[in-house]
Formats: sequence, C-alpha cells, structure tokens
Amino acid sequence: MNRSPDRYADPYFAGIGLGLALLAAYVFAGRGLGASGGFASVVASGTAVVKGTAAAASSPATGPYLDHGIMSPLHDWLVLELIGVMVGGFLSAWLSGRLRIAIERGPRVSDRQRIAFALAGGVLMGIGAKFARGCTSGQGLTGGALLSAGSWIFIMTCFAAGYTMAPLARRLWR
Amino acid sequence: MSQTHRLLAIVAAVLGGAAFLSSFSRSADPSELASEIEAESDHMSALDLATRIMHEDKNLRIFDLRSQAEFEQFHIPTAQPMAIEAITKSVLPRDADIVLYSEGGTHAAQAWVLMRMRGYRRVFVLREGIYEWQSRVMEPRLAIDATAAEKAEFEKASELSRFFGGNPEMGVPRSQVPSGYWTTQQSETPQTHTAPFRRRGC
Amino acid sequence: MIAPFSETGGLGSTGLLLSAPLIGLAFGWFLERGGLGCAPKLAGQFFFSDLTVFKVFFTAILTAMLGAFWLDRFGLLDLSLVNLPETSVLPQAIGGALFGVGFLVAGLCPGTSCVAAASGRLDGLAVMGGMLAGIVVFNSAFDWIEPLYRGTPLGAIRFSDWMGISTGAGVALITAIALCGFALVGRFERSRVSS
Repeated sequence: MNRSPDRYADPYFAGIGLGLALLAAYVFAGRGLGASGGFASVVASGTAVVKGTAAAASSPATGPYLDHGIMSPLHDWLVLELIGVMVGGFLSAWLSGRLRIAIERGPRVSDRQRIAFALAGGVLMGIGAKFARGCTSGQGLTGGALLSAGSWIFIMTCFAAGYTMAPLARRLWR
Repeated sequence: MSQTHRLLAIVAAVLGGAAFLSSFSRSADPSELASEIEAESDHMSALDLATRIMHEDKNLRIFDLRSQAEFEQFHIPTAQPMAIEAITKSVLPRDADIVLYSEGGTHAAQAWVLMRMRGYRRVFVLREGIYEWQSRVMEPRLAIDATAAEKAEFEKASELSRFFGGNPEMGVPRSQVPSGYWTTQQSETPQTHTAPFRRRGC
Repeated sequence: MIAPFSETGGLGSTGLLLSAPLIGLAFGWFLERGGLGCAPKLAGQFFFSDLTVFKVFFTAILTAMLGAFWLDRFGLLDLSLVNLPETSVLPQAIGGALFGVGFLVAGLCPGTSCVAAASGRLDGLAVMGGMLAGIVVFNSAFDWIEPLYRGTPLGAIRFSDWMGISTGAGVALITAIALCGFALVGRFERSRVSS
C-alpha cells in the first residue's frame, strides 16, 4: 500500500448511497440499519456462555437478544449486518488505498491516551445506546428517516450534549 | 459539482413539498371511501382481531366507543375506551391498524368515516360490534350435525376462545347456530342473527 | 409484490439473513467512502472544522425518508409493516446525552468504529471494545436502572403524530430543515475559505 490514498467521496453522494442502503433495509427486511443492537446481541451471547443459557435468557437485560435460547449471535440480523459493514469498510478502504494499521488521534494526545479515551468513549456510548434503544444508526438514521419521535429526541440530545461538552474536549482533537 | 448539488436539492425540495401537499388529497376523498365500503375492506372479523391480539400485534390499536360504564363491565382485551367526540382530535400513529367497535355496528361505522376523513388509512370496524366478539370468540358454537368445514373452523375458533377465557360449545342444536355463523355458509343479512346472543352477560 | 418483502412473503428467513451482510456491506462501503472511518474527521463536526458528518447523516435521512414515503404512497412499500422504533422520552433523552459525550470523546460512533477497525485503525477497535464493556456495565446494573429504562413510554409514534400533523407534513418539515442546514453549511464553509 504505497500509493497515496484517494480523496474521499463527496459527502452528499456518500449520504445518498447510505440512504439507499437504509431504504433497501426497509424494503427487503422491513427494518432499518443498526450497530449497537449487534453489539448488545454479542454481549448477550457472551453472557449466555459465561452464566449459562437459562440465566441469560431469563434476564430482562439480555433475554430479548436471545431468541428462543439460540446462543450463536450469527442468528441475529444485526450481527450479520455488522459483519457486512466491516467487509464493506475494508473493501472500500483497500480499493482507495486507505487500508493501513494506525491510530488516528488529535495532534496533542499520545497513542496511549487516544486508546484510553476511545475505550472510555465506547463505554459511555454503550450505556447511552442501551438507554436510548439504539445509536446513530438504529435511532439516528433508521428512526430519524421514519420520523420516530424518540429518534429525534435522541438526535437532538446527542448533538446538544456533544456541542456543549466540546470546549472541554478541545485538547483531545484540536 | 455544485450544479449537481443544486439539482439534488431541488429534487429533495419538490419531493418534500409534494409530501406535504399529498397529505391533503389523501385525507378526504368521498369516492375512495365509498369504494372501500363497497369492497367491505373496512371490516375486520372478530376472529382475525382475536388472532392478532393473541400474537401481541404492536401495530394494533383497539378503541371501545361504548360508554365508560359498559367498558368497565366488559371490553375486548387491550382495547382502550374512547368517546366518539374524542375521535376527531385523537393523536395516533398514522400507520397503526385502528380497530373500532361499539354496541352494534353503527357508531363504529360512523367513527370509521371520521377517522378516514382525518387521514388515518388503516381503520377497521367490527361489523356487529361487541356482540361479534361475544358470539364468535367468547362463545363459539358448533351444531350437532356440523359439516367438516365447520368443524375445522370451530377448532381454530375454540383455540382462540380458550386463550381469551371463553367457553366454546359443541353439539348444540342447529337452531341455536345462526345461519352464516361459519364462513362456509354465506348469509345475506348476518346482523339479524345476532339477536339470540345479545342477552348473554359477561 | 408489495414490500417489505420479509413481511409479505417475498423473502424467506434464509433470504432475510442473507440480506443482512449485503445491506451491511453497502452501509460500510458508503461510510468509508464518505470518510466516516476516520475519528478526527468525525470529531471535527463538534468543532465546526469538518461538517462531513452533518452532510452525510442528513442526506442519508432525506434519501431514505423521501424514498420510503413515496414508495408507500405509490403502494410499493407498506410502511406500516416497517418496524418503527418505539419512543420512551426520558431514557432516550438521557441515552442521547450520554451517547453524545461518548461520541465526542471516542470520535467514532458504533457503526463507524466497525469501519475504522476494518480499515486497520486500532482506535476503532478500542471503541468497539469500549462499547461491549459499556453494554456489560449496563446489563449488570440493569435491576437498578430498569425503572428509568422503562419510564415514559409512548409506544411506536412519529413526531408528526405527536404534533398533530400528517406524516407528509412531517416529511416536508425535515426536508426543509435539512436543506436550510445544507445551505447554511455551504455559506459557512465559503466564508471560512475567503477569510
């Protein structure tokens, strides 16, 4: 991979492509896209392995993700979709010369700090997405395009909180 | 590039504006309503309704248009009480399947027209109101000389009936089972046959 | 046959499962193409230095919203059969706020972290790990959280129903807001280039 990476696509064209993928999900699967739900499904399957299927299936936190006690997350539409997301992201990065092992970070943080913040941010998003019943994909895009009231509440509080806290996080990125 | 963006923005603006305008033309078209009534697509049978309640269909909203006292005495499971004047200002999901029932069929049918005029697209009534639920779901009857087709339908109905705590009965005299009770024998005027069932309490 | 095919019998359960990775593939492809696998680019959204997220996100919503609305109107898609996420006001407001802060700190959201990880970015992998840990934390505290989690439910409802306007009017409202946003963003970026 010695070539210089291609330029990114026009954001509006990328958005239309993304919107058509979402529309295809409505048309073929009767549901939208998601990401955090797939993570939750993996966690539920992991819980089933650690604590036993019966305990995980009867818990109100993990039960809904374990359809009839099936333990493999590969039975879940969202998990399969996420695998597709990773393959799609890989292919696009590969074909545009952007595939490389690296840590993307702001200019004023070390690699180690970046990984720590990435983990911390991930934890916050995991909790937040569980509360909100979805993330930027499952609530933001999917519910947003269907005009779901809760999805628009999510979108507004998400960006409001991000912008409110941004001055405090300036050192991370600028 | 910017030219393309402008074109896309215009397309989006046209589609968005037309979406707004389309909500007017859809809501009140009497000839469309008339043809729906003609095609009888405004009805839902009590057995279909029971099946969907049993499967916990989230898309279903059931409204009881009778008085509050009657509602408290007995109502279809998951139904909510609603006064008929509240129909004109209710806020419901536009795409929900809305099922209306009243004492007989009249109030529900009138409310059906109001709801359709307000732009709700999937509105249904129980043709014979609460009596249809009583006679078809709570107390399905099978005549002693029933045909095989009637027996098959009775099987399905009694399964539903037991789910809702009903009381299916077989082997009753043919005279107690109104003609047209099972779909295999079509009747022209089903309403008149519900009278024997009205006296039944809850 | 009318869509959604999974509900109307056009797509069996195997077909439904097969559709998942294919649709996901397109999702991941377009995220990466738009540059949403790169954390500093996403974080730039919060500092007004890179507005790609806003553009991609709202264009995608517009496309899917207008497409779904008109397919439904022309009778090709029955939108009432498409799963509408249910609304619970308070948990979604709180969840959104927590998520927004996490997004700011991580620089990636769950979907884009998968793309970042798949293109070799180790920070993306860390966000994925953090997500899993966060969900484990939530699940283990679930008994304590449950009353809040289940509070203020409104069911599957559109904001247009809430406001008492038609779905078409809601679609028009979002379209107008998004297009105004795009115009403002364009003006902002031009003013920054010239100054």
